[in-house]
Amino acid sequence: MLQIKNLHKEFPKEEGTMVAIDDFTYDVKEGEFVCILGPSGCGKTTVLRIVAGLEERTSGSLMLDGKEVNGPGSDRGMVFQEFALLPWRNVRKNVEFGLEIKGLDVAERKVRSDKYIELVGLKGFESYLPKQLSGGMKQRVGIARALANDPEILLMDEPFGALDAQTRNQMQKELLRIWEETRKTVLFVTHSVDEAVFLADRVVVLTSRPSRIKEVFEVKQPRPRDRADPAFLALRKRILAELEQETIQSQQRPA
Amino acid sequence: MEDQKGRKFVKRLKGLLLADTMYRQVLFTIISLVVFIAIWQIASVVLHSDYLPGPGKVWDALVTSFSGPDPIFGTTMWENIWASVQRFGLGFIIAFAIGVPAGLLMGFSRTTEILLKPIVEIFRPIPPIVWVPIFFVLFSYIWGPVLAITIGAVFPIITSVSFGVKSVDPIYYDAAKTQGASRLQIFNKIVVPFTLPYMMTGVRIGLGVAWMCIVAAEMIMAIGGGLGLYIWYYAFNAPIENAYAGIIVLAVLGLSTVSLAEYIENYILKTRGE
Repeated sequence: MLQIKNLHKEFPKEEGTMVAIDDFTYDVKEGEFVCILGPSGCGKTTVLRIVAGLEERTSGSLMLDGKEVNGPGSDRGMVFQEFALLPWRNVRKNVEFGLEIKGLDVAERKVRSDKYIELVGLKGFESYLPKQLSGGMKQRVGIARALANDPEILLMDEPFGALDAQTRNQMQKELLRIWEETRKTVLFVTHSVDEAVFLADRVVVLTSRPSRIKEVFEVKQPRPRDRADPAFLALRKRILAELEQETIQSQQRPA
Repeated sequence: MEDQKGRKFVKRLKGLLLADTMYRQVLFTIISLVVFIAIWQIASVVLHSDYLPGPGKVWDALVTSFSGPDPIFGTTMWENIWASVQRFGLGFIIAFAIGVPAGLLMGFSRTTEILLKPIVEIFRPIPPIVWVPIFFVLFSYIWGPVLAITIGAVFPIITSVSFGVKSVDPIYYDAAKTQGASRLQIFNKIVVPFTLPYMMTGVRIGLGVAWMCIVAAEMIMAIGGGLGLYIWYYAFNAPIENAYAGIIVLAVLGLSTVSLAEYIENYILKTRGE
């Protein structure tokens, strides 16, 4: 379980400071799929980067399974929008990166990478270089790489944002299948309401800067979800309305 | 009928010449060399000077220089090349061994950069040749030309490698950190492999500078022969054809090493798809 308490983040500005995140308190339960949704330019990615340890928090506390989190670590796997695959490493070597860091021997690495490459549906592509893969396949590698470290939680920063619409929908279904097989806790940042409602158990809607939690929606519809279902559409509409209000407010304010 | 065939031929020829094919590259290289040699020939006839022999005479001198020992030096061209290449290789290996780690550290660690930058900036603008007599006296005759090459080649390597390190996309660091990588592991597994093509760029530029340095250094002082010494002697003593022959040998050596470095550089970049 991930407990985020009174998270506060300021960035230094030319004059004074800019508050990016203000008093963010939220618990992500074990095995839960949570989407953070917010208008563009709000601190949703910053929240994720702080949880990953890539960004320092100004104040507040972060607990993962009862232990205080400080700095980055392989107990929190991250999936990036830009994939961030190493271009000189093939699929297997990319997936095994974290295992090399841990110092596992070749045989152990192979067992693990085989398992996760198969899980994400890339069996047979082990020796391909990133440049030979499509966007969707690249992100499958990104997911396998994050899972190979067997993290407590999977942090996903708009992972399908760089993909075309069809691939995106397909990857969402794939992600749910992978999630159901691994039962990992997922914290997923997106700006797409549709994506959030399709994927999440709960959708956390943020305000525009400084980011606070505006509202949390529970998505009760069983999976696989039907995008044409009236309940799905109704929830989408409600969240969209919330978000629109925020976007208007942020546009009326000087940047 | 004939006319149609002719047009087809012209079309194919155009295709070959306009598209960026191997044929076009080879053909144009040959054309440019032929034109150059023709101009050379004409100039030598028109000027009619002892100091500009025609290509034919130079070619004869070139062949002679390889086939037997030189009457002045007592060595063949092969032996001169070997003497220069040894100095060159040694000097360049030292430059690589110093330049790559220095560039990596200067790019990766701000502290190292602050520490080393003043030294680099002080020594960089000094022509490497200046050091030849100093090293000659300070160490032994061998080290004059060798260290001049080292100094000539080391700066392009340092600059290019440290630029490479600074070009690493920060997202790779993020990805490595979230997988538990330490700073040392990030250096070994991200920075070093990422910088490989930049190393080759540095090597390529460094090679060019190094060839200039070896000849100039040998002209100043070299014991035991060498291309520079050979060219320098025959630039003032007849037959001048020998000086031109030496220059051609030097050009071929320079071109082949630089091309090889360029080939490796492109190969690395291509496999990565950057």
